[in-house]
Amino acid sequence: MTLAQKGRWTTLVGLVLLAAVYVRALAFTPIERTQGPAQKIYYIHVPAAIWTETAMILVGVASIFFLFLKDARLDSFAEASAEVGTAFATIVLTTGPIWGKPIWGTWWTWDARLTSTLFLFFLYIGYLLLRGAVADPGARARYAAVLGICGMVLVPFIHFSVYLFRTLHPMPIILKPSAPALPGSMLATWSVSFAVFTVLYVGFVMQRYALARARQEVPHA
Amino acid sequence: MPETFPHNAGYMVAAYTVAAVILVAYAVSLYRRTRNL
Repeated sequence: MTLAQKGRWTTLVGLVLLAAVYVRALAFTPIERTQGPAQKIYYIHVPAAIWTETAMILVGVASIFFLFLKDARLDSFAEASAEVGTAFATIVLTTGPIWGKPIWGTWWTWDARLTSTLFLFFLYIGYLLLRGAVADPGARARYAAVLGICGMVLVPFIHFSVYLFRTLHPMPIILKPSAPALPGSMLATWSVSFAVFTVLYVGFVMQRYALARARQEVPHA
Repeated sequence: MPETFPHNAGYMVAAYTVAAVILVAYAVSLYRRTRNL
């Protein structure tokens, strides 16, 4: 079985498990009293946000090692992780405003967390456009690595922006120094959802990495 | 006294639908690009 086929099966398992997460979140997880059903958007928004940021960190780490080792596999992994991160960032930037409208009364506000996340999305797009615009493989990999490292540097700023600035965005409920501030059943649903998003990230990256490697071997594949 | 919640289930359904569409569309996109590998 090829890597692409393994990735395909992993993705399929992830999508089936995602359906189970939907059933658990929508039918078997309590409704939060003040926010109502819209609070359940949290179970898909936050796992997608964590993987949006983690994918960019992995792009940056792979890029640093690429600049030292010149191993094309690291460049392929960075390319794969960036594209998957873009897909997750799209989920974050669509589900966030859908939650914001009933809870904040507005689809969007230019606060630090939202604006920096939008900037990360544009960085992802820029990274992919850059890769498409540079014909020389060596130069493409070097330029992309530099941009990937810049993206990685942005991630801690995004995470800590809610502490550094006055923002409308809620403080972290899970990823904070103290224990998660969620009731047990909600935390279980969130944990399962996060695990499923992890499976999806792995499945997507396996396929996209296989595609990137194939294109390196046959440039017009 | 029964508990009352804000009536905003439509937003929840919209968000879950959007997320599913994005994930399935990306999975299909990857399948189409990698099926000949």
